[in-house]
Amino acid sequence: MNYAFRKMLFAATVAISSAPNIASADGVSISIAVAENPQQLDPMRSANAPDILLHGQLYARLLHRDSTGALSPGLAESWTISEDGKTYVFTLRDAVFADGSPITAEDVVFSLDRTLNHPESAYPAPLSAIESLEAKDAKTVSIALKSPNAPFLGNLEVFNASIVSKTDVEARGEEEAFAKPLSSGAFMVDSWDRNSSIQLVKNPKYYRDGAPNLDSIEYRIVEDANTRVSLLKAGEVNAVEGVPYANIAELRDAGFEVPLEASTKTQIILMNHDNPPFDDVRVRQAAVMALDRVAIAKAVTQGLVTEVANSSLPGALNFHSQDDAALPYDPAQAKALLEDAGAVGAEVTIIQVSGSQVSQQIALLTQALWSQVGLNAKIEQLDSAAFRTRRKTERDDWHAAPAWYYNETLDPDLAVRWAVCGTCGSNAFHTGYRNETVDTLTEEALSETDVAKRAELYAEIQQISTNEVVHIPLYYPPFTNAYASDVEGLFMTPAFQWTLEEAKRK
Amino acid sequence: MIIQLIVDRLKQLIPALLGVALVTFLLVHLIPGDPVALLAGDRASPETIAAVKTRYGLDQPIVVQLFYYLKNIAMGDLGQSLRFRIPVTELILQHLWPTALLMIMTILITIPCAIILAALAASHQDRPLDHAIRAFSVAGIAIPVFWIGIVLARIFSVQLGWFPVAGFGEGLWDNVYHLVLPSITLAIGIVPVLARNLRASLLEMMEADFVTAARSKGVPESYIFKRHVFMNALIPNLQLFGVIVAFLFGGTIVVEKVFAIPGIGQLLISSILGRDYYVVLGLTFFFAVFTMLVMLIVDLVSMLIDPRLRS
Amino acid sequence: MNALAIPMRAVRQLPGLFIVGFVITFAWIAVAILAPVLAPYDPDAIAFDALLTAPSPDHLMGTDQLGRDIFSRVLYGARVDLFMGVVGLIVPLVIGVFLGLLSGYFVGWTDTIIMRALDITIAFPFLVLVLAIVAVLGPGLSSYFVALALVAWVPYARLVRGQVKLIKQTDFIAATTSLGFGSTYTLIRHVLPNCIVPALVFAVTDFVLIILYGSSLGFLGMGAQPPTAEWGVMIADGQTYLSTAWWISFFPGLALLTLGVGAALLGDGTAKLMRVER
Repeated sequence: MNYAFRKMLFAATVAISSAPNIASADGVSISIAVAENPQQLDPMRSANAPDILLHGQLYARLLHRDSTGALSPGLAESWTISEDGKTYVFTLRDAVFADGSPITAEDVVFSLDRTLNHPESAYPAPLSAIESLEAKDAKTVSIALKSPNAPFLGNLEVFNASIVSKTDVEARGEEEAFAKPLSSGAFMVDSWDRNSSIQLVKNPKYYRDGAPNLDSIEYRIVEDANTRVSLLKAGEVNAVEGVPYANIAELRDAGFEVPLEASTKTQIILMNHDNPPFDDVRVRQAAVMALDRVAIAKAVTQGLVTEVANSSLPGALNFHSQDDAALPYDPAQAKALLEDAGAVGAEVTIIQVSGSQVSQQIALLTQALWSQVGLNAKIEQLDSAAFRTRRKTERDDWHAAPAWYYNETLDPDLAVRWAVCGTCGSNAFHTGYRNETVDTLTEEALSETDVAKRAELYAEIQQISTNEVVHIPLYYPPFTNAYASDVEGLFMTPAFQWTLEEAKRK
Repeated sequence: MIIQLIVDRLKQLIPALLGVALVTFLLVHLIPGDPVALLAGDRASPETIAAVKTRYGLDQPIVVQLFYYLKNIAMGDLGQSLRFRIPVTELILQHLWPTALLMIMTILITIPCAIILAALAASHQDRPLDHAIRAFSVAGIAIPVFWIGIVLARIFSVQLGWFPVAGFGEGLWDNVYHLVLPSITLAIGIVPVLARNLRASLLEMMEADFVTAARSKGVPESYIFKRHVFMNALIPNLQLFGVIVAFLFGGTIVVEKVFAIPGIGQLLISSILGRDYYVVLGLTFFFAVFTMLVMLIVDLVSMLIDPRLRS
Repeated sequence: MNALAIPMRAVRQLPGLFIVGFVITFAWIAVAILAPVLAPYDPDAIAFDALLTAPSPDHLMGTDQLGRDIFSRVLYGARVDLFMGVVGLIVPLVIGVFLGLLSGYFVGWTDTIIMRALDITIAFPFLVLVLAIVAVLGPGLSSYFVALALVAWVPYARLVRGQVKLIKQTDFIAATTSLGFGSTYTLIRHVLPNCIVPALVFAVTDFVLIILYGSSLGFLGMGAQPPTAEWGVMIADGQTYLSTAWWISFFPGLALLTLGVGAALLGDGTAKLMRVER
């Protein structure tokens, strides 16, 4: 309240003399217009996209992933893995939090334990292999796993394996501590006008020498995509997240970079397997074959994406099999399958998040193409809160839903658990798909340490789940971020983090 | 007389506010969707969501929640934002100034424009100027606000670079500078409504019996217009103006979105979409008090202009 | 004499603009009725080989991002929008005028109750209450109508009440009452015709506003559900394409504009006729 009053007073008095133009902060700064509103800076409490992007900047993790995607030592200087692959011992480097207090093994244990065991933790899955955590001494952490776990090191780099200060969180209390968190990462929060902007400044105590290059980052929350594009064109921001496909050509013509960064995203149509007619595999297969997916991908992306997704798993992941498994466009066959299943003329409801051009177009195209083979679809738009509730809990009231998902790492384990496994707590991304072989293979693949064998197992999972149509894979969308030409080294990694640490201004 | 009215109105304020609080509370809780499921992200398990709900008191029966809410309001506490975990009052105050300034600027643009246009149109009835003004005002009504905003921003900010594209800036002059296009956008939507009605009332009053009577007595036309026609035409329009000021708030929601102004309209929409119950309730409450004050002022001014209403 | 019985003298004095308004409005009504005959394409038919094509002889107003023919959609949209404007307008108008009459004419508790209900309704931000009601009832036009009936009567009630209070002062009402005519007779025969003009003028404006608010709802995903061709939703959908395919939102915008102008001119003319008659 004080702050707001001071701001008003300031506005009313002092600033009368201030220059009318954007006074840039001292030093080198980048301003990014983002679509969505960050709400939780506590890495344990949220797995929402806008929050994840900030967690990555505010906190360091045991391992570090550079802009090429390679894993390297982070807060952990070195580590050893026991012969049986079940015990990891990490030795921490001499790093400190932004207030100068040392980052200790206690902090590491505290942070990982919160994410893993706190009853309110939003997404413990990446660390679920951990049996126990122990601080051997101030600089040594020992982690015991339930079973060997191939992607474990990579999972220690994801956003909610972030290291926070135990002392600080306990001293200030959780809410206070994460309203203005104590940073262990490259940047720290300078000010946060909730619902409108966040100012980050360089953390001078950050452990990586020479990083970051930038002194500050302005994060502007601009919901409207047109406004974001206009801000970039007028030079008021240096980068824009999520440019609509329709604006890409226009921005490129105006000299902006829109690189279409590879992502681990996959654009899909969820199907509700708990509800007829999509409980019948023949109807699901008919639903895929009725869709001209190439035409859909081209139409939705303005011709920028021309390849369809070949399977139920994101194409950018390790071990992704190139063998085309998805069923081809074949309306005649689709009709035959529907007749076979006695589902001709079935009524289905497509639910769709309002405000998303992409999902609306997919819903409309699907509706039109399905009607040609005898599936009558009705579209219902819901805002995202209602959409999520419907999808998860009101299972009788929907049949299909355009959606997308991404994976935090390049290892397929988490993606498989999220999207196709029926016993991993995700209900196979709310589809209700259940295949015991897939479920067993998921666990087998996780503890398999032989790379070639893992690849085979994932190929099999991919093959089965795609053929049984866990969901309809459409295409692998790139990130459509745009940058002013004087921004260097800034992009979004496939695993959905900005490379702000390396970014520069020319 | 006037003091009596103010006292009466303030007495009526309390039941009205209670009504507003009740209706909003039930309404927001009836909307499907779960704030905690949104907050934690799609990957959170039902157990996690249940744990967070318990901590926020959202697992209680709705009647119990309502009871606590009313109790807290009575003690002047609007509660905490579910999304940001800061007091609702703090959040509202933080977003108040941009919206207040936007509304002030819009009204400052609207009133003179509406009066001048209406007076010109009425005094040139059925001549080209009248037609032109009416055509403009009809066109102004029929264009969606967001459309005007986007086009103005494209022309004056992106092409010509005269004004900022979006945002609010720092410092009063910078704030005003940022709000020029947004307030013009809003005014384009409102001036026509007011101007049209004012014109209609003016024309009607010009033909009223007492005006004809005054004319027949040889009272100068300009005096008649100022003293009789204009003042009498103003009264129904003042009422409309009050309604429009209240409606303006709805308009700011759209304009704040287009121009990314960090005001309470934006806050309200994002709070509804995020099911941030106490922020929605707090804002509605705040708005209710504001509207009732506007209406009170409108009634007071009407009385001052027209003694007949005092009875 | 009935207020709506237009004497010949007034018809002869009809201003040209009124006739223009009449013609435009009825042209749109005709378009709405004849849409299936006039439209060259199915308004919902998707064409992958004709995405975002500029206006041409094949597609008079071009096609949208799904290859749908804008011209056909604009024609069909007239049905949806006229329906939305008329239904959305009539219910609040009737409620508002009725309550305004009662409130202005009968002082005392009738007035108090109506004014308190009005205070509570008006104390909500319009769009918010509509949004909330639509969110509760589920998105779609029928929810919008319910929301309008609950919210949009307010301006009419206020306008009519203000007028009634003024008219009550005038001599001829006092005369009717003293002649022993009942309240109902006086209200309908004398007060209503004399106080309805501002309400009708506002109603014409409101007709367009109701369509625009419907478009704002469409913008927020709570209006007419896809693939319904509704002008407001079409304008909102096209905004992404403003710089690359202007025709997507331009033509529905133009349609809305012409209908708005037509309706407003018609409304002005009507108001004038009623004054002339009185």
